[in-house]
Amino acid sequence: MAGAFAFKGCQKIRGAQIRGLLEAKDFFLFDCDGVIWHGENAITGAAKVVNALIRRGKNVVFVTNNCTRPRENYVSKFTRLGFTDVMLDQIFSSSYCSALYLRDVVKVRGQVFVIGCEGLCRELLEAGIPCVEETDEPGATIYNCALAPDVKAVLVGHDDKLTFLKLAKASCYLRDPECLFLATDNDPWHPLSGGRILPGSGSLTAAIEVASGRKATVIGKPSRFMFECISSQFSGVDPAQCLMVGDRLETDMLFGSNCGLDTMLTLTGVSQIEEAQEYRNSDLDSNRSYVPDYVVDTIADFLPAFEENEEQND
Amino acid sequence: MSGSGSKCVRLSGPLVKPLLDSVDCVLFDCDGVIWRGNQAVAGAPQVINLLKERGKRVLFVTNNSTKTRSMYAEKMSALGFNVTEDEVFGTAFCCAAYLQTVCALRGKVYLLGSAAMQQELQAVGIQHVGVGPDHVSGTQQDWANVPLDPDVKAVVVGFDEHFSYMKLNRALQYLLQNDCLFVGTNRDSRLPLEGGKAVPGTGCLLQAVEAAAQRQAQTVGKPSRFMFDCLAARFGVQPERCMMVGDRLDTDILLGSNCGLKTLLTLTGVSTVAEAEAHRASGCAQRQGMVPDFYVESIADLLPALQG
Repeated sequence: MAGAFAFKGCQKIRGAQIRGLLEAKDFFLFDCDGVIWHGENAITGAAKVVNALIRRGKNVVFVTNNCTRPRENYVSKFTRLGFTDVMLDQIFSSSYCSALYLRDVVKVRGQVFVIGCEGLCRELLEAGIPCVEETDEPGATIYNCALAPDVKAVLVGHDDKLTFLKLAKASCYLRDPECLFLATDNDPWHPLSGGRILPGSGSLTAAIEVASGRKATVIGKPSRFMFECISSQFSGVDPAQCLMVGDRLETDMLFGSNCGLDTMLTLTGVSQIEEAQEYRNSDLDSNRSYVPDYVVDTIADFLPAFEENEEQND
Repeated sequence: MSGSGSKCVRLSGPLVKPLLDSVDCVLFDCDGVIWRGNQAVAGAPQVINLLKERGKRVLFVTNNSTKTRSMYAEKMSALGFNVTEDEVFGTAFCCAAYLQTVCALRGKVYLLGSAAMQQELQAVGIQHVGVGPDHVSGTQQDWANVPLDPDVKAVVVGFDEHFSYMKLNRALQYLLQNDCLFVGTNRDSRLPLEGGKAVPGTGCLLQAVEAAAQRQAQTVGKPSRFMFDCLAARFGVQPERCMMVGDRLDTDILLGSNCGLKTLLTLTGVSTVAEAEAHRASGCAQRQGMVPDFYVESIADLLPALQG
């Protein structure tokens, strides 16, 4: 390649450059898994970073595709792990945003058939959206089970109790073109601490897409909708003021790019820097959207920037 | 007779006999062609039986993986078809043959599938684990760390009414091993059913596993060539003297085209003439394989020529 122009992005930054970024931005969006914690363990220094940002008057929100817990559980988890100032209204999960979508965008009238865990159903119920109750006899099959009337949407999320019958019911409901098809997120797998992975919502959504011949509307990253929820709640957010910090190129970086935000990849999670560099070096224009503007080894790399600030203020 | 010339022609009257005379072997799909559910298509048994009487080789090729060859033979007898089990090629039988011959599998299979698949694997000496209900218990860490049988060298996905998150998870964990093979019986998205209900097909389960594992399976069933190669090897079938009769453009007709057979669409099942015409008019080379040479309303339309 004749180095006629440098490929933008993937810039590893620390120290003074981070300080500059912290001054320039006033809205910080953080993914959770792999960015601020791994399972039940906070990433070293993450709590200090978040607390420091909040104390400096920055807006901090958490944007996660994890749809298994209600937001109250997240607040408890934040407190438990030392993030002292995080409030409910700073948390945007794909399950919460799915409820908002159904209530405010679609204004759904009727029931929703949910393939997901209790945490997802709770977010819907809290938003006043009725979910179809599962009342099948053991041994019920698609040939003899009852189908609920008035199902206006099928919502697919992570469901460890998935059965063939649920897949079959979902595809029956989706035969009605008026019935919406939503997915909390498209992640094909998600990581656990220790390097293991589990099947994600994306794999369940794929099954139903094949069964129904329809494409799901995805609520979570990389779709723009969660940013619209955030913007709506904070009465308008200027993308130029934002920094999206995440660990997964295909989810977090693409989300940031789709919403016109600057993006930062932290290397404590799923994606490796080599993958980011491959996207950057690719000939395909569409691959640019996966390339982070900035890269840090861990968000704890922000800490020296705060300490310098403090020294300057003395 | 067929080939680059006319396509999607209504097969009627004087066209039937010359077409039948031009083939020695006729392959039939089952669902939507010779039966629907448990009912024979009117006239179908007579067609099959007369073709055999007229000296044609008649074979059956189905993507359905829930029956063994002997189960098919039983159903066919009950419905009036004079068929022996070695004339039926279902994906349970063909998948076992594929693992044995093409994959030369040494080791066990983690199987998402039916009792029929179990039996066909056993018949060729391939051991399997995993069939039946299987639900999560314990924590997420437990699921990600499920004990894996070290002898499992392939994950095989067929139609599985016990499909669950836990089974999807186990398949994923096995497939994370690079030397683990990945085979699916077929990609049909739906099972044909009466009464407004839809039953997800094997294609759905396969897509879920492929998405989670970020790997593509090799598939045995139509439109892949393997099923034709399997029967051609056993019966010495010449493609240019063979006709495929089916109801689905994207499996039956495409298989026929891929293997150089004459193709006949019957309208008693899934696909329509309009869909076939749309493929032809598309100008897309890949879609031309889904345009049949001929179509009939039902295979019973062949009767007058056979009886005459």
